[in-house]
Amino acid sequence: MSPLALFEWIVAFRFMREGLTQTVLIVFGVALGGGVIIFMSALLAGMQANIIRRTLNYQAPIQILAPEQVARPLREGGGAAVAAQVQPRSQQLRSVDQWQKIRTEVERMPDVIGVTPVVTGPGFARRGEATKAVSVIGIEPESYFGVIALPEKIVAGRYDVGPIDVVIGTELAKDLGTAVGDKLVLATANAAASTLTVIGLFDFGNKGVNERNVYVALRTAQNLLDLAGGATSLDVKVRDPFAAETIAGTIRAGHDLQVDSWIRTNAQFFTAMAAQILANTLIRIFVGITVALGIASVLVVSVVQKSKEIGILRAMGAGRGQVLRVFLIQGGFMGLTGALFGSALAWGFLLLWRGVARNPDGTPLFIVVIEPTLFALACVGATLVGILAAAVPATRAARLDPVVAIRG
Amino acid sequence: MADAGSVETLRLTGVRKSYGVGTPVAAEVLHGIDLTLLQGEFTALIGPSGSGKTTLLNLIGLLDQPDAGELVIAGQRASALAEAEITRLRGRAIGFIFQYHYLLPAFTTLENVMMPILAARGRADTPMRETAAALLDRVGLTPWRDHKASDISGGQQQRVAIARALAMSPTLVLADEPSGNLDTQNADAVFDLMRSVNETVGTTFLIVTHDPRLAQRCDRIVELVDGRIVSDRPNAHVVRRG
Repeated sequence: MSPLALFEWIVAFRFMREGLTQTVLIVFGVALGGGVIIFMSALLAGMQANIIRRTLNYQAPIQILAPEQVARPLREGGGAAVAAQVQPRSQQLRSVDQWQKIRTEVERMPDVIGVTPVVTGPGFARRGEATKAVSVIGIEPESYFGVIALPEKIVAGRYDVGPIDVVIGTELAKDLGTAVGDKLVLATANAAASTLTVIGLFDFGNKGVNERNVYVALRTAQNLLDLAGGATSLDVKVRDPFAAETIAGTIRAGHDLQVDSWIRTNAQFFTAMAAQILANTLIRIFVGITVALGIASVLVVSVVQKSKEIGILRAMGAGRGQVLRVFLIQGGFMGLTGALFGSALAWGFLLLWRGVARNPDGTPLFIVVIEPTLFALACVGATLVGILAAAVPATRAARLDPVVAIRG
Repeated sequence: MADAGSVETLRLTGVRKSYGVGTPVAAEVLHGIDLTLLQGEFTALIGPSGSGKTTLLNLIGLLDQPDAGELVIAGQRASALAEAEITRLRGRAIGFIFQYHYLLPAFTTLENVMMPILAARGRADTPMRETAAALLDRVGLTPWRDHKASDISGGQQQRVAIARALAMSPTLVLADEPSGNLDTQNADAVFDLMRSVNETVGTTFLIVTHDPRLAQRCDRIVELVDGRIVSDRPNAHVVRRG
């Protein structure tokens, strides 16, 4: 049987219908408050997701590197340092020791989705008179694409680099005046150089990356950088990007390696994000309090207006608990209905935002995901806020002395 | 005349009630009331204004607690009951008819009659609706069952209030000047209705009235003056109508 047949629900809804103007106004107020919270949360979540996605587009969540080389001071018998000043060592390009073994180990870890060896080093891309400094990235295509979604970013040509192929960014292509099918020379400081065919162009949506990154086959990079059989890093993809630091810690614990998580390398971004979350939380709290106060004040007035009816109900045998629930139901209903309308409102605003907030080229500024759980959470939250707000007026109503209430 | 049985519906022993205790205007309103009502009695409670009639009715109706003395309703000692039990006893055993009808304006007449049953059982159902409809029929208001309580006349409203008072088949109905703001014709109709319920169902009635004409139509007349019962006599010459 429907709860609408219950005494408390029947009385609560009749009371709200009787004070329809008040009910509509407060529901509208809750709708606005709820709408703002949902809209802001969705926007913030969208923005964060967008920045995270863009970052993780070209950066693996975890990078395993060879340990940093440190200067070891000369020692005499007593162990006292002879050198007065120890200069930090310059870091050579080195391979991760026994990377195949480490790769297998890390691949077995439960939260790891993919591991791929990468050889990265400095180089020059030359075409005719033009020379640009680039970052040569040697990849093993089959495993690399499981970590970095390069294929999705290809705007022209192919991505499956062979020994004499190269994939470059749109910016570099513009600077060198190359197109798919053209040749360019990739040279390194070791005086090694290869002539490679441009088979594809990528666009990560980041000018620096589009200008600098140059993807070649692992073997090609090993030759160019004089690291035969080596890998300068292992790029690791994990299931939950936010667990990257924890997983990195686990890997670090077992090996003498430098393990960087994207959380550590993008510390500034995370600080900004934390500040944003804090600001958003504060706004949510204050809007929530405002909504609660609105509901409470409407119900306080309602209790005064309805005190005679409450007295009659009590004389007719209604218990204090029943009267209490009559008002709690009203509070909860106002919260829930307000949140439902607020959800509709926020939905509309988000669709509008999608339409309006666009890059100059017409693509969306960032994708705002309309997440059903957010709406569900808002509705549950608003219902609870409504019930809490109703607690004080409901208690007052339940405590009314029937004799006094009836006499007015 | 209904046969008053020997079963006690209500017994008051030495009931006292003061107002404003602890303030300079403290005053005892009821000074030791002893009163017993038997099942099926139709009793008038008369007395001048301020004699404590309504206070006594509120105590009997369990809407208020006495300062001293004992109150037994339907075999239960009120002082031994907790708040929730008192509410339950009130809903089950006592029906109220006030001077002003005190119907719930937001509800239909049928819903108003249902309300005590709904409050007691917590959930609306068809038998409840049928009981209310039958009571409304009894007071002659079937055509108005779906009207809002605020949309019918004063006499009709008081009849709805009577139907509502009977909803839980109470053993005792307390009426506080039920015809106080009605014209003679409507007052008589309301009185007839109560009398007929008393005669057919055997419900005990205690009726506060200012109207000697109506008091003369009760089986027993209790007179309260300054918080004391000054006379309690059977009415040998019950005026019967029609």
